[in-house]
Amino acid sequence: MADTATPSAPAAGKEPLLRVENLRKYFPIRQGFFGRSVTQVRAVDGVTFDVFPGETMAVVGESGCGKTTAGRCLVRAFEPTGGSILYRNRDGDEVALDALDNKSLKPVRRELRMIFQDPFSSLNPRMTVLDIIGDPLRVHNITSGSELEERVADMLLRVGLRPEYMRRYPHAFSGGQRQRIGIAKALILSPQLVVADEAVSALDVSVQAQILNLLQDLQAEFDLTYVFIAHDLSVVEYIADRVLVMYVGKMVEKAATDELYHNPKHPYTEALLSAVPRPDPRERSQRIVLEGDVPDPAHPPSGCYFHPRCRYAQDVCATETPALRPIGDGHEVACHLAEDLDLRGITDLVPRD
Amino acid sequence: MSNSNHNAGADILLDIRGLKTYFHLDEGTVRAVDGVDFTVPRGTTIGIVGESGCGKSVTAFSILQLVEKPGRIEEGSIVLNTGGQNRVDIAALDHDSEELRQIRGKDIGMIFQEPMTSLSMMYTVGFQMTEAIRLHMDVEKDEARDRAIEMLQAVGIPRPEQRFDAYPFELSGGMRQRVMIAMALSCDPMLLIADEPTTALDVTTQAQILELMQQLQEEFGMAIMLITHDLGVVAEMCSEVVVMYLGEVVEQADVDTIFHNPQHPYTQALLQSIPRLGHSHEGRLNPIVGSVPDPYHRPSGCPFHPRCTQIITGRCETVHPEISRLDPRHTVRCLLHEDPHG
Repeated sequence: MADTATPSAPAAGKEPLLRVENLRKYFPIRQGFFGRSVTQVRAVDGVTFDVFPGETMAVVGESGCGKTTAGRCLVRAFEPTGGSILYRNRDGDEVALDALDNKSLKPVRRELRMIFQDPFSSLNPRMTVLDIIGDPLRVHNITSGSELEERVADMLLRVGLRPEYMRRYPHAFSGGQRQRIGIAKALILSPQLVVADEAVSALDVSVQAQILNLLQDLQAEFDLTYVFIAHDLSVVEYIADRVLVMYVGKMVEKAATDELYHNPKHPYTEALLSAVPRPDPRERSQRIVLEGDVPDPAHPPSGCYFHPRCRYAQDVCATETPALRPIGDGHEVACHLAEDLDLRGITDLVPRD
Repeated sequence: MSNSNHNAGADILLDIRGLKTYFHLDEGTVRAVDGVDFTVPRGTTIGIVGESGCGKSVTAFSILQLVEKPGRIEEGSIVLNTGGQNRVDIAALDHDSEELRQIRGKDIGMIFQEPMTSLSMMYTVGFQMTEAIRLHMDVEKDEARDRAIEMLQAVGIPRPEQRFDAYPFELSGGMRQRVMIAMALSCDPMLLIADEPTTALDVTTQAQILELMQQLQEEFGMAIMLITHDLGVVAEMCSEVVVMYLGEVVEQADVDTIFHNPQHPYTQALLQSIPRLGHSHEGRLNPIVGSVPDPYHRPSGCPFHPRCTQIITGRCETVHPEISRLDPRHTVRCLLHEDPHG
């Protein structure tokens, strides 16, 4: 199950750090003069997963699939519409994140941090690096003054930046350096769980590798657990222990990374994997080109949301919504036909010599 | 792929020599494109790759003389061979001339990462397309309309007659990208310049658009200049690859050589730094140290030397390497491959 390339494996037998059960987040669509709520967008519609200490759980899918909304619910930047999020805090107590009010959330927020995609807009241009990274320490009344400076300097070293730069402003740094600042800010409070939302997708390819390696080193050093939200499946294969695939707000598949990539059970996962361009002209793959677009989440299709684009769809797919069900080896899939299909994984897609 | 074998040098559509495009700013001069040479053979797909700031987009904009002030083409020639002895040096034309306007959109079409760069919110898809068609082709309104609908159909837009009257904001991202491609191809250009055409799209939409571009190339026979940072897209689409770094071409070869026998340390490092599907067990990624230097502080000598692992100490910092030709289709700009006779 464990991916040997990643320094930390999901710890079997351990208690989960996070238990997400039937998470839902609906946004109302308001219309008319009085702003009456006429309908709702089911951005996240019944997502269930556990995250174990020390592992990296990836949430993947295309834009509009709800992966970012789900991630924001985890750190309670959004209030979930329904479902439960149970988090085991440092003292070993399980707290229901979905039910906490803002005051009781504050201590938990120290342990749950977020890294954002855009290193250009997520850092305040009017604050020095010292203020940006040190701010959480002040907000949580942990330390101030010269001790704060020392902690920031130490953190800068750990993310590969020079402490001398702490009085500079973000504009003086490159994209990769800014992402390091964002990571330092997330880690300064010694969190347990870090939600990284497209943390490397805005970076140049040569810098992306640096940041991915850094995230892995920091995970080993600080015993971190990651929820890694991304759309790039090559990056996810490299960093994640387990992967959850979403489509229009719903979970369609969840499995250990190797299992999912080599033995996908959902036709959408198969199509996603086949669509990734391979950086090798000798591996020009047989892409599965899906027809049409991702449906509007305000008006999803009937039955299985994927059926209008699915090349295996049968009558039942248009009428009945498939439930997510286990099919062995920790592999779960929401497809009526999972057992009957022989889908192609990443090694079946390329001509091997 | 249909375009994987062509006779090198046999039929050159576009020949770029010594192109220099500089931006004169208060802080100094940015040499965005600094002596670029390459050729685009007719009917093939050539990839221009590099990281942000390498000058790949400015090269594309220079080809159409769309570089805006304070940018300027300083030197070089961009010779377009539209057939027979019909050659024109685009770089020598006035950027506002009628001749250049006839080349833009007619002989050379261009598509961008963000479709709204070339589409207006204020007009319907049909209006914008027929206007472009009537500007370049001597046709009546009805004929232009038919042509536009035909193109919308060709790029796989369902119910093209209805979409003809739609505004761009009514379409999804993938559909807009298709409209932009339809518009760029509506006058049957010989060259399509595609600047990161799929970067903003999801992978499944990207697969649709790449497939479409390949189909249209087979059908219409145009050459494609594909500008991208995504080595996967290059490997899938191109027959020839130009690798750029800080405004210079550092290596150029056929696609198989670039991916399997790269000779410039930058090309090698770039290929080693990307995660590849199915290769995650091979251990840690191998990043390039540092980042692309800022354009005002261009390193001396070979611009890649501060990040290079194969640096020849004492030479690479001072000597700017010339282009060496390793074989007829493979050139590299690196002192490791210095031509002793050059």
